[in-house]
Amino acid sequence: MKRRSRPVDWARWILVLVALALVLFPFYWMVNTSLKPASEIFLSPPTFVSPNWSFDAYTTVLTQRPFARYFFNSLVVTLGTTVLSVTLAAFAAYGFTRFFPRGATPFVIFLLFTKMLPETLLIIPYFQLMSDLGLLNSYLALVLAYSSFALPFSVWMLIGFFRSIPRAIDEAAIMDGASYLQTFVRVILPLAKPGLVAVALFTFLIAWNSYLWALVLTTDSTMHVLSVGVANMVGEYRVQWNELMAAAVIAALPVMVLFSLLEKHLINAITSGAVKG
Amino acid sequence: MQPWKRQRLIGYAFIAPVFLFLCAVVVLPLTHAFWTSLHRTRGLSSSFVGTNNFERVLTDDAFWHSLAVSLQFTGACVTLHLGIGLGLALLLHEIRYGKTVLRVAFLTPWMVAPAVGATIWLWLLEPQFGVVNYLLLSVDAVDAPLAWLGTPALAFLSVVAVDVWRGVPFVMLLILAGLQTIPPDQYEAAGMDGANPWQKFRYITLPNLRYLLVVASTLDIINTVRHYDIIGVMTGGGPAGATEVLPVLLYNTAFRGNRFGEAAAIGVLLLLIVLAFAIFHIRLTRPERGSAP
Repeated sequence: MKRRSRPVDWARWILVLVALALVLFPFYWMVNTSLKPASEIFLSPPTFVSPNWSFDAYTTVLTQRPFARYFFNSLVVTLGTTVLSVTLAAFAAYGFTRFFPRGATPFVIFLLFTKMLPETLLIIPYFQLMSDLGLLNSYLALVLAYSSFALPFSVWMLIGFFRSIPRAIDEAAIMDGASYLQTFVRVILPLAKPGLVAVALFTFLIAWNSYLWALVLTTDSTMHVLSVGVANMVGEYRVQWNELMAAAVIAALPVMVLFSLLEKHLINAITSGAVKG
Repeated sequence: MQPWKRQRLIGYAFIAPVFLFLCAVVVLPLTHAFWTSLHRTRGLSSSFVGTNNFERVLTDDAFWHSLAVSLQFTGACVTLHLGIGLGLALLLHEIRYGKTVLRVAFLTPWMVAPAVGATIWLWLLEPQFGVVNYLLLSVDAVDAPLAWLGTPALAFLSVVAVDVWRGVPFVMLLILAGLQTIPPDQYEAAGMDGANPWQKFRYITLPNLRYLLVVASTLDIINTVRHYDIIGVMTGGGPAGATEVLPVLLYNTAFRGNRFGEAAAIGVLLLLIVLAFAIFHIRLTRPERGSAP
C-alpha cells in the first residue's frame, strides 16, 4: 500500500530537523572555528563560514603543541586496555557459561556493582598507590586504571553473548576429541565474533573518552591523553580557540568515524545490555 | 584424578585471570579507599582516626550544600533526559526514511568524550565572543551579553544544559528500542475502536514502556550523580559552589585541598547513594531470571 505524505509527516520531519540542528550545532561551530585564522576568532559578528579557511590550526596543534603525542598516548592506552579487557573477558565468559553456569549469576551481579562504582572514589587510591609504586606518568598505570571500568563491562557483556551460543556446539567438539582450549579457540571464538567486535568497540569508545583517570595519573605534560590535553588548553592565559577546536576535532573524530561505520553492532549491544541490566 | 574434578580445574583456569585482575584493579583500590577514609594523611605518614573524617564531612556545610546541588542537578538532568528522550524517540519512531542516519546523527553528542563536549560548550558560551550570546543578542532575546558561567544561577543552568545535550541521545536510544517491541496490532485494535493519538499514547505506549522507563531512569540517576567530567571541565564547582556536585567536591577536597581522608569519606558517602539505586536497579532487572545478563 502506498501512503501519501500527510501534513503530520511534514510537521514531524520539521521537528526532527530542528532538533537535529540544535544537537549538531556545537559540532558545526567546533569545525567552523577550527578552520578560522587566529585573527578571525574575535570578530563580531562571527563568521559562519570563514572566507579565509585553512587547516593551519591543525598544523599548529600537531606540530607546535604536543597533540600528535597525545594522540599516540590515547591510542596506546586505549588499545592496550581494549586488548587486555576483551581477551581476559573472553576466557572468563567461556569459563563461566561452560563450567559454572550457576556461579555466573552472582558474578554478574558483582560485575554490575563494580560497573556502577563512582570513579571519583577510585581515583584517590589509584593516585596514592601509583605514586607509591612510582608509576605516575606511565602507560601501565593508565591501562590498569582504565581496566577497572573496562574489564567489568567487557566480562559482563561477553557472558551475555556466550550464553546465547548453544552448549551442544562445544559438547560436540569435545566428543570429537578436541580439548577445551581448542574448542574455545577454534569453535566458540569464531561464533562469538560479532559479540567480540561489539564489546571491543564499546570498550575502545569508553576508554578513549575517559578523562578523570588520566587527569589524575599524569602530571607530566607529555604523558596526557587527548581528552586531558584538550581540556587543559582552557586554562591557558589567552585561549587560542581555533587551535583548541582543532584539538577537539582531533579527539572527537576517531570515535565518530568508528561509531558511524559500525553503528549496528554497537547499538544492539548498548540497548540489549542496558535494558536487561 | 576424577573426570569432574579435572573439569572443575580447567574451568578455574579459564576464570582465574579475570578474578585476579578484578581483585587487583577494583577490589584492592576500593579497600584502600575505605582505609584512607579512616586515616589522616600528612605527607608520608598517616594515622588512624576512626570515623573522624566522616564526622568532619557530615558537620561541614560544604558537604550538605554539595549534596543539595547534586540532588538538584541529578533531578533536573534525569527529568529532562527522559522527557526530551521520550519526545525525540516518539518522533523518530514514526519516521520511515533515513532512520539509521538520523539515529547516528542524534547520538553524536554521546559518542564524544564528555570532557571534549564540555570544552566545545565553553567556547559557545564564552561571554564576549561566544556564538550563543551573539545569537541571543541578534534576536533581542537579551539586552547585554550574559556571563553564562559567571553567575551561580546561570552556571547551574549551563551545566544542566550541557549534560542534557550529552545525556538525551542515550535515553532516546533505549526508548526507541523499547518502542520497537510494542506489538503493532495493539495500535491497530485501538484504531478500530476509534482511539485518538493521545489515547493510543496514554493507554498503549506508556504502559508498554513503563518498565523500560523505570530501568532507564535508575540507570540514568546512577550515571548522572557520579559524573564528574562536564562540571569538572566547565566550572570546577564554581562560582561560589553553585555547581559543586559531590564528585566535584570530592575531587577538589583531594586534589586541590590535599585532604585525602575527607575526600575518601565523601566518596564512601557518594558510594552509598549510588548503591541504593544500584540495588534497586539490580532487583528490578533481575539478572538471574533472564538468559542474558
